[in-house]
Amino acid sequence: MSNPKVDRRDFLKITAIGVTALAGAQVIRRAEASEPTPSGGRQWAMVVDQSLCNGCGYCVMACRAHNDVSPEITWNPVLEAGQVGDKKIYLPRPCMQCSQAPCVDVCPVKASYYRPDGIVMIDYDRCIGCRYCEVACPYGARAFNWKAFTEQNPAVPEWGQPEVARRPRGVVEKCAFCYQRIDRGLALGMTPGVDPDATPACVVVCPVGARFFGDLNDPGSNVSKLLKARTSYRLRADMGTGPRVYYLSATEENA
Amino acid sequence: MKIRPKLSKLSPWLAWLIGLGVVIAAGVGAGLIVFWKGLWITHLTDLIPWGLWITIDLSSIAVSAGAFSLCAAVYLLGLKRFQPVARTATFIGLIGYSMALLTLLMDIGRPDRFWYAVVYWNKHSLLWEVTMCVTLYLTVLVLESLPIFAQFEWLKMRWPKLAEKMSHVHHYAPYLAVIGLGLSMLHQSSLGAVYGVLKARPFWYRPDISVLFIISAVAGGMALTVFASMLSARLTRRASVDDGLLDRVAYFIGWTLVLYLYFRFWDALSMTYTYQPGRTEGLQLLTQGPLSFNFWVGEILLGIVTPMILLLYRPTRTSQLWRMVALALVVGGVVAYRWDTNISGLMIVLSYLPGEPTVEYAHYVPSLIEILSGAGVVAFGLLAFSLGVRYLKVVNHSLTVEEHENRKVEAKKPAPA
Amino acid sequence: MSKLERLIIAVMFALLAAGVTLAAAQAQTPQPPQPTNSITGDSCVACHKDIYDTWQGGAHGQSLTDPVFAEAWNAQGKPGACLVCHATGYDPATGELKAEGVVCTACHSPIPTNHPTDNMPIDASPNLCGRCHSDPRFVTENWKLSAHYQRSMTCSVCHDPHSAGMKSVAGAINTRADASDLCANCHKGVMQNFPTSKHAEAGVTCVNCHLGFNVGTTDITDFVSAHKAPDHSFVPTLATCNKCHANQMHAPGESVAAAAIAIEESGGTPTPLPTPVATPIPLVTSQPAPVSPAGFAGLAGLLGLAVGMVLSPWLERLYRRMNTGRMNTTGRKK
Repeated sequence: MSNPKVDRRDFLKITAIGVTALAGAQVIRRAEASEPTPSGGRQWAMVVDQSLCNGCGYCVMACRAHNDVSPEITWNPVLEAGQVGDKKIYLPRPCMQCSQAPCVDVCPVKASYYRPDGIVMIDYDRCIGCRYCEVACPYGARAFNWKAFTEQNPAVPEWGQPEVARRPRGVVEKCAFCYQRIDRGLALGMTPGVDPDATPACVVVCPVGARFFGDLNDPGSNVSKLLKARTSYRLRADMGTGPRVYYLSATEENA
Repeated sequence: MKIRPKLSKLSPWLAWLIGLGVVIAAGVGAGLIVFWKGLWITHLTDLIPWGLWITIDLSSIAVSAGAFSLCAAVYLLGLKRFQPVARTATFIGLIGYSMALLTLLMDIGRPDRFWYAVVYWNKHSLLWEVTMCVTLYLTVLVLESLPIFAQFEWLKMRWPKLAEKMSHVHHYAPYLAVIGLGLSMLHQSSLGAVYGVLKARPFWYRPDISVLFIISAVAGGMALTVFASMLSARLTRRASVDDGLLDRVAYFIGWTLVLYLYFRFWDALSMTYTYQPGRTEGLQLLTQGPLSFNFWVGEILLGIVTPMILLLYRPTRTSQLWRMVALALVVGGVVAYRWDTNISGLMIVLSYLPGEPTVEYAHYVPSLIEILSGAGVVAFGLLAFSLGVRYLKVVNHSLTVEEHENRKVEAKKPAPA
Repeated sequence: MSKLERLIIAVMFALLAAGVTLAAAQAQTPQPPQPTNSITGDSCVACHKDIYDTWQGGAHGQSLTDPVFAEAWNAQGKPGACLVCHATGYDPATGELKAEGVVCTACHSPIPTNHPTDNMPIDASPNLCGRCHSDPRFVTENWKLSAHYQRSMTCSVCHDPHSAGMKSVAGAINTRADASDLCANCHKGVMQNFPTSKHAEAGVTCVNCHLGFNVGTTDITDFVSAHKAPDHSFVPTLATCNKCHANQMHAPGESVAAAAIAIEESGGTPTPLPTPVATPIPLVTSQPAPVSPAGFAGLAGLLGLAVGMVLSPWLERLYRRMNTGRMNTTGRKK
């Protein structure tokens, strides 16, 4: 009579190895980073001319007003970035809308996702508030709603109203290139980057005209032409995130 | 008749329960305040969004690793004699994973959406993978623990058929052990990889962090199991242990610590070469900065080296006191490792402005709310284990041997003519 | 062994552990040579000569020695109240002052012990300047109404804190016309059209309307006399226009200038601007939290105490065994 125990143990061992190997293969397959956004169609990009930016902060306020952002959160801070000669240089930092975004890769419920036009969106109804994306973003572009923002937003002027719904407590939020303005403008036949009503608020409001917005896939758009004409750089491009916000440096000549 | 408070009748058991009850009540209160008011009352910030609760969550999962390793040893490697220890470990695993879930429930911004990860999948996300594996493994643990709950006397009396069915699950233990091994290997190391895949955090961005997590989890999980068994046996007659078994497990833990130290050593040493913004500062925080005491004394000296020596050197391993001390130190070291890893990476704020990235430091001290709710969760774990020892014979190395004997005897009975 | 003996050995362990930890921790934070910590500004000048020169020639450096001030101060009997601003560290209770004039440490204090490793502290907000310059006579309440303040501009955006004068755009010298160049540096849009306007042809510059300086005057002392400052709300009011156009304003039946000023004073307030809230940034520092060797030594001492309590009976047995050379037959089993 065969010894059932030995047979069963061997069977179990083979199964264990098989299952583990299979699981491991699955992990390796799944753990790869997600594919970057498809590059057909429109690809929105923003260009900031640092030789013009004077750090006035109007873009910060316009963003806050249009998107009903709590005063404790800044989607688009203006940072000090050194000096050229006597002039202080500033760097406004919206969300980079990376084409290979770490935040999209790590969200456990896929609340952060790519739009076909390159904008990285957050589904605020799906976000569980685990803050993994906040930890993963190299640019610190995401902010968590630690508290509910229920009072009147002092940044929203009396004559206007925000264009998007306010985010509830417990979700992460970030700049979304004013997708609501882009979508509405496109539906009305306008051109984002050219027509102010179809362009992100920060670009429109800049009093010195330091910000530009447009379609990279359109060689005639202002951003394409700017990037062709002048040297630009992106933040931490070495990390391979593929940001879509380009900066034109301020130099001794043009500062 | 004089009415006097029965303080003189307060048995140690009752005092223990009351003490735990107070801490749990405080924890529940703190947790409710967090649910009601929001996470802003903690000291977590956008720069350090993961703090004490995540550490408790990681540590709970780590010290539950005794379940999968001992069950794998018993059912897949054929080391049947360790089955009683595996039983204790499984129960500890169940408690540990429920502690982790409780802590996570408080920590995520939307506790009402805690089930989203099971429904909405992102196969590329390691945190999703961890959530799925933890959910599935919790199911496995519940199934593996059914025979333990079947030992509940009240249950055996009230629903004997149910108790017998639950006990019968023991028959499927090998299959559950296989699944549990696969799931645990995945998520214990994935917890490390959650940190390890973030290119934005150079101090975390290395492949061996998952290896460190799983090795430390195996060491810590087994250590907690043995420690809890020994402590229960000393404190109550309802728990009985076979010291020889525990001695063998302790010996294995000692060698696991050697492996852990080996990996840890090379991991740290390799980070000292050439300056990399973020990574070098992170290592400095650990070795020279505010975390240095926790690292050198808590993690290395007391967490690895001292228990390694104590557990591999026979005279100290066979001594009850020294073995328990060593095992407690291992568990402490595992917790310290997870705290250090989480905090050191988050404290480093790497600038993204053009030019050489500069480093600034954020700060975090847990708030009272976090400490109270964390302590409440830990107290819940202690309470669950104490009840298990008292009513479910969780630490009872003689019981299962009898059970096996019974089974063997039954199998040898001749068939009725 | 008795409890006391155990305790003594434990304390020895504790001291040993604390001492080793203290040595190790301090070895990693080498104590730099201590600076002189004198606050007269003479120790700062060794490295910061440029700033020192600028400061010495300006109003801050001469706040006590300036002849106009000295004359008025002496005439009033050297009141201590003046020294609160015109000197550094004046203590009204004792009448002693730490330094004459507004010296470096008036704004940059406390001096960190390991400067230059640590930067000198400075509060760049208007609150620091406001310690002296918010005297109501300076009419800085108007500054708080200005759009500049509400956009979180600080005093030092336009004023050089060391020379206490105006900052200069590259190339211009420190004249009043220079202040208008500062405005043009940001408000470039305005400067595209203003130079072709009639106002510019007449020689009006930004500061004439927006700061209240008289057109054509180059001497600021006729306006900025003791404790007076131009209106920093930057909002021209009807009175501003009336400075030049008084006889062109129309009001039935009464003196135009008087009528205009009456309207102005009866409650014409500038349009309140929306109040942006300063964005709180989570606290970051350039250095991690300092290591406290004493704190670590204390923790190590506690651990040493515990280790000592546990190890002491075993140590005693070892000691006895070494001394007697025989097995200790009365040794208790562990």
